[in-house]
Amino acid sequence: MAADTVLAPEPLPLARRANRWLRRYNMQIADIPVWLLGLAFALLWAMPFVWMISTSLKYPEDVMTVDIEWFPRRVTFGNYAKMFTDYPVLRWALNSLIVVTASTAMCVGFGALAGYALARMRFPGSGLLFLLYVASLMVPIEVYIVPLLLAVTKLGWTDTYAALIFPTVGNVLSVFIFRQFFLNFPKDLEDAAKMDGASHLRIFWTIALPMARAPLIAATVIIFTLNWNNFLWPLLATFSEEMKVLPVGLAAFTPVLGTHTQLEGFALSMAGVTLLSMPSVLLFYFLQRYFIQGIASGAVRG
Amino acid sequence: MAITVPTELPTRRSDQSQIDWVAYLFVAFFTLPFLLFNILPILFGAYLSFTKWGIFGAPKWIGWQNYIDAFQDEFVYIAFRNVLLYALIIVPSVVVLGLSFAIYVNQRWPLAGLVRVLFFSPYVVSATVIGLVWVWILDTQFGIVNSYLKAVGIGAIPWLTSMNWSLIGVSIASVWWDLGLAFILFLAALQDVPKDLYDAAEVDGASLWQRLWFVTLPQLRPVISMVITLQLIASLRIFSQVYVMTNGGPASSSSSVIYYIYSTAINRQLFGYSAAVSMMLFVVILVVTMAQRFLIRER
Repeated sequence: MAADTVLAPEPLPLARRANRWLRRYNMQIADIPVWLLGLAFALLWAMPFVWMISTSLKYPEDVMTVDIEWFPRRVTFGNYAKMFTDYPVLRWALNSLIVVTASTAMCVGFGALAGYALARMRFPGSGLLFLLYVASLMVPIEVYIVPLLLAVTKLGWTDTYAALIFPTVGNVLSVFIFRQFFLNFPKDLEDAAKMDGASHLRIFWTIALPMARAPLIAATVIIFTLNWNNFLWPLLATFSEEMKVLPVGLAAFTPVLGTHTQLEGFALSMAGVTLLSMPSVLLFYFLQRYFIQGIASGAVRG
Repeated sequence: MAITVPTELPTRRSDQSQIDWVAYLFVAFFTLPFLLFNILPILFGAYLSFTKWGIFGAPKWIGWQNYIDAFQDEFVYIAFRNVLLYALIIVPSVVVLGLSFAIYVNQRWPLAGLVRVLFFSPYVVSATVIGLVWVWILDTQFGIVNSYLKAVGIGAIPWLTSMNWSLIGVSIASVWWDLGLAFILFLAALQDVPKDLYDAAEVDGASLWQRLWFVTLPQLRPVISMVITLQLIASLRIFSQVYVMTNGGPASSSSSVIYYIYSTAINRQLFGYSAAVSMMLFVVILVVTMAQRFLIRER
């Protein structure tokens, strides 16, 4: 029957199937070597991470062999266990979590308030304030970090959570993300609420903030990551082992560590940095869109 | 009348009554820590740079003496020379590789999504991760790079332990770390290039390279200039990876300006002097930023 010949799918010859595949991606045959070269580069780019995780899962005697083992032949979690028992890694991770959560919550919350005010409210000095925020981007923290340390010492805050938290709250990136969002916020909603006699605080809390999901996530993700990775300030602000945050504590994991051999030290340090990179890599992987949006609005590293 | 409609025209007076006083409360929460911990230390640092201050006593005003000393300090010279060398290696590598990777991913060929994640992900990890991973990879005796070099008959290179190589070793790690930002900014800019420009060029029979040279690059000029500036500043303020990987050594060969500031302040407690070197770095960064603004406006 005629219908049968139409329905029965004729097996496509390989060439035609390949052709269709190429057309779907707008590719030509000549592009294939370039495509493969790019994939090779991407693979090369991932290699340090692969090697990091792979090393962290190896027995010390397998860490460097004559035939390089990109993937461990036998897997052990011994390095992770040893890291937690031999060093206060748990304490450092806890410190990091406390400091980063508090700082990020304040930075994002206060940034939302300030961004909303700058975008939607009229008050003398608003232009000047915004200019000050923008101008501050031109002064990297490294330039004033020593005076900052002296001031914090004067306050008697050295080696406390306060020293780690408060100086990192004023990250203007957060304000910029929210200001940009609220500038494009529909005015009708605000006007309707105003008619009903709602105060600014009420409008902000019940209307503006619930609609600001995207900038909230973007700001939280980016500020969290910057704070989690922050290195120089926590290095200066703390000196006791119990007050260190994870990046600073782990930075002392040099290959020759106490009684370990060099290869044991490397395996241990790779376990440490695998743990350290997990939160930010996972955040980025699952929230790519927000992450990139957050970065694009500031194009700065904290 | 059921409804009263306000009929008066807005005047200067009613304009003023529209000032949202509560706005000051809104901005206060953010601005207070911002002023205390971001702005005041800058001013304090500017003042300190004109004083002599050790661990004891009060800062003593000494005028320009710190700056005069700094200009004669061999280590200041080394530090600034090193950050220029870092910039010379890192900036072109990041721009060329970042742009190539972005153009590649922008073709949306198979696996482009995965490739994008791979190119970007080093940017999201901490300096400690970058430092320790590359200390391991570049280890002279056990590092995987030297293992492969040995396999092709090249002797072990002392990447981080020799005066000739340490700056290069740190630069390699920095390129791997920094590329993600340039890559993602280029990619965003590429997606904003109007499609009809390409269509027109294709109608005119432009080859892939011609399209790249005459359509893509001119359109990307602003973002390229921005990335160069960002990366230049990042190289000028390079610190964390230096601290983790080499401690500035051997013999200051991979040291940087911030590293020198750090060591004068923390190890030698020369607070006034370190503030003066900080101000010098700030002036250099300001000049770079202004130059970029100026160049952009000229276009």
